[in-house]
Amino acid sequence: MLNTRTALTPSLIAIVGFLTVCPVVMLVFGSFSEGIGAFGTFTLEKYIESYTDPEFANIIVNTVIFTIGSAFVATLLALFLAYLNTRTNIPFKFLFRIISIIPMMIPHILFSVSWVLLLNPSNGLINLFLRQILSLENSPFNIYTLGGMILVEGLLDLPIAYLILAPAMAAFDVSLEESSKVSGASNLRTLTRVTLPVLRPAILASFILVIVRSLASFAVPSIIGMPGRIYVLATHIYRIIATGFAADFGMAAAVGMSALAASITLIYLYRYLTSESEKYVTISSRGYRPALIELKNAKYPLFGIVALLSFVLIVLPVLVLFYTSLVPYSMVPSAKAFSMMSGKHWLQVLKDPISLLSLKNSVFLGIVGASLGVILSIFVSYVIVKVRTPAAGVLESLSFLSFSFPGIVIGVGFMWFFVRTPLYATIWSLLIGYIATYLPYGIRPLTSAFIQIHSHLEESSRVCGGGTLYTLRRIIIPLLIPGVVSGWILMATMFVRELTLSVVLSRPGTEVLAVQILRFAEDGLWGKLSALGIMMIFISSTLVVIASLIGTKLTKVEEESR
Amino acid sequence: MKKLAILLLILLMAPWAYADQALVQKAKEEGKAAFYANITAIQPIMEQFTKDKGVTGEYTRISTSKFLATVLTEHQAGKLMADVLQSPLPIMKLLKDNGVLAPYTSPAAASYPAWTRKDDAIQIFGIEYVALIYNKELVKAQDVPKQYEDLTDPKWKGKIVMANPSAHATTISWLIGLKENVFPSEKAWMKFVKGLAANKPMLVKSFGPTPAPVESGEKLIAISMPKYIITKAPAPLDWARVKQPLLGTPRGIAVTASASHPNAAKLFVDYWLSKDAMQMLADKVGEYVLHPGVYPPIDGIDKAKVLPIRVLSDGEIRSWGGKFKKIFDVP
Repeated sequence: MLNTRTALTPSLIAIVGFLTVCPVVMLVFGSFSEGIGAFGTFTLEKYIESYTDPEFANIIVNTVIFTIGSAFVATLLALFLAYLNTRTNIPFKFLFRIISIIPMMIPHILFSVSWVLLLNPSNGLINLFLRQILSLENSPFNIYTLGGMILVEGLLDLPIAYLILAPAMAAFDVSLEESSKVSGASNLRTLTRVTLPVLRPAILASFILVIVRSLASFAVPSIIGMPGRIYVLATHIYRIIATGFAADFGMAAAVGMSALAASITLIYLYRYLTSESEKYVTISSRGYRPALIELKNAKYPLFGIVALLSFVLIVLPVLVLFYTSLVPYSMVPSAKAFSMMSGKHWLQVLKDPISLLSLKNSVFLGIVGASLGVILSIFVSYVIVKVRTPAAGVLESLSFLSFSFPGIVIGVGFMWFFVRTPLYATIWSLLIGYIATYLPYGIRPLTSAFIQIHSHLEESSRVCGGGTLYTLRRIIIPLLIPGVVSGWILMATMFVRELTLSVVLSRPGTEVLAVQILRFAEDGLWGKLSALGIMMIFISSTLVVIASLIGTKLTKVEEESR
Repeated sequence: MKKLAILLLILLMAPWAYADQALVQKAKEEGKAAFYANITAIQPIMEQFTKDKGVTGEYTRISTSKFLATVLTEHQAGKLMADVLQSPLPIMKLLKDNGVLAPYTSPAAASYPAWTRKDDAIQIFGIEYVALIYNKELVKAQDVPKQYEDLTDPKWKGKIVMANPSAHATTISWLIGLKENVFPSEKAWMKFVKGLAANKPMLVKSFGPTPAPVESGEKLIAISMPKYIITKAPAPLDWARVKQPLLGTPRGIAVTASASHPNAAKLFVDYWLSKDAMQMLADKVGEYVLHPGVYPPIDGIDKAKVLPIRVLSDGEIRSWGGKFKKIFDVP
């Protein structure tokens, strides 16, 4: 047993390291090289120039506010939703699953543009409406602010937070709460004194993942931040690349190194804060069945909040999408707009051979990529949680390496790497790149699920003669199914709409959806973009439904056999 | 006499026609021409080329900010898959400096203006023209700017959208083009730039996001490209017929030195420069092309004077970007 464990860690470090280190190493070379390629004469000039820029301090302040703010919005909303869904008798629970997934499937550019249409100070629909009913002179809201950026990014990252928190919440040992209540604590006190502290690893995981993600996010900073003249790290990097025709990705990488350093620090901080992992174990060999809390009078007011959230998160953006796919150009809804609606954009997309090929490729990458990614994530999470040696810490940091780089830069890192391999310009380069970059999407939900499983369970299996694989298959995996499903969904929906790597690596024959969508965006063809966007949401939804059904079925089988 | 003239003409044309046939034959044997560019909706041209010449035209679209990095990375690794490259002239020049391009003078370029044929490798075929694009439903006819200076009128305060003049290379070059080609003095030009900045334009990433706010009425006027009038029809967009010339960055095309289909590459460049292809580019995408007599179907464009902007070095662009950053108060 011990031997298999010892062999497992180094081999995983080798695999994950190979996947994530290669592009980053290329970027490190690029950042220290003169000229604009990966290799050149050694220079520190790029670091000196980028870090002595007087604007840099200001950009860091904005970035910190933006990322932490988004993490707060996403994590708090996700906690609220996950708690109501898994622990109370709130009605219409199916809504929660949908709320938590939909923003994952909408192309981020489109979601941001929908919010601009709703909240821009000149003629945003919500502003126009409020001005009319309250007879205001000026618009009450301005989306082009840090607050606007945080709101939209927070909503976009809500699925990440939810899919990490919900499995942990579902695997919660109720006896802890029962003890609290028996000792006379109220529901609220139990929540703040018992439930939330026990969920600390999952809450921290969600918080950190959202910070890292929003650090790399480009859609919101460019569509909402730039017009408001608010620059964060990602848009600052874009500015470095865009000013001039010989885009210097080495210099961009030099700036990106600070994002990388921040992410690695956060991961070590996270490991430190959760180092006494035994404290958080909640599924032990004792009986486990989450009980539902009776909401009584609070039931419908709380549901009202959920309904409002679903309206804002799903109904509005999807409606805006549908509407945009039907009108001939960007127009504020009016009688004229409705009279001009047609299915023209839909027909054009359906007749476009490249759009169809990109649909096919994205479905392939979504299914095969997420499946391989989740398998790798199971092993990696197991080592991260159960082995907890310094090597496991290295593995955890490695898994975040490509993920924490701003997207525009990591894509080039992968290109610099793949061009030296026979994989260049094939669909396999996309597949490997996706798994390498988005590994944390598989690992995070799985580690928060692993943390909840007490080692007594494995020890019992081992005492009865079960080997590592047997223990994994019969004890661990069944308890992990909610985490596996979450990870698969996060990865599959991410791969279906992946843009940053694809835009650099895709070539004729390996076109994918997001790249096609970006091209429509670059040409300002919002109608076609929305039509293809809706097809993308449809594909992702189908994948999510299938994954959830399989997950439910497997969990049931386990319960019956128990 | 007339018969003799025709005979002479045929005799003169024969070698060219023969050469063309030989090229087509060799290109067919090569099978395909791979084309890297960043240009909207050129699929019809690729299809027509494939149909007419029996050689497959394969288009890879690479966005301008990644164009040089991608092509150079592939070139240096000996894996450049492109036979033909097309991009803004400043990038083409950098590619040439790095030994990516091969010399080629296309017979199809003979009718183009002399200034487009100066380079032995890069043929200029169009200008990415910039103009003031306004919402024709929301801007009254008498308010439409008649000269660039009109944009500084305070009535446009908060109603303008443009690409960020501190970072967007094409917009920086355009402003410099105005200084060098349009305004009578540097002082008059600086007054214009400061007046424009004082009107607090909304600054976006590039030209791509400029037309949407004008279509929807969020803003009224954009420093943008007239081609959107075609690609975004029936959006209520029109261009301001300013009395000064329009300016834009020239676009160039060239074959690569390492082309794995060298003859197909030449054939493709010849086809690209032909009147048929240029007409398609003008009609379908609204591009301003330099083939004589071909104009995009935008009212009044055939009468406009469209001038190329000089190629600015990246050093110049960054230095001016820094100055505009202060003037436009970009953090």
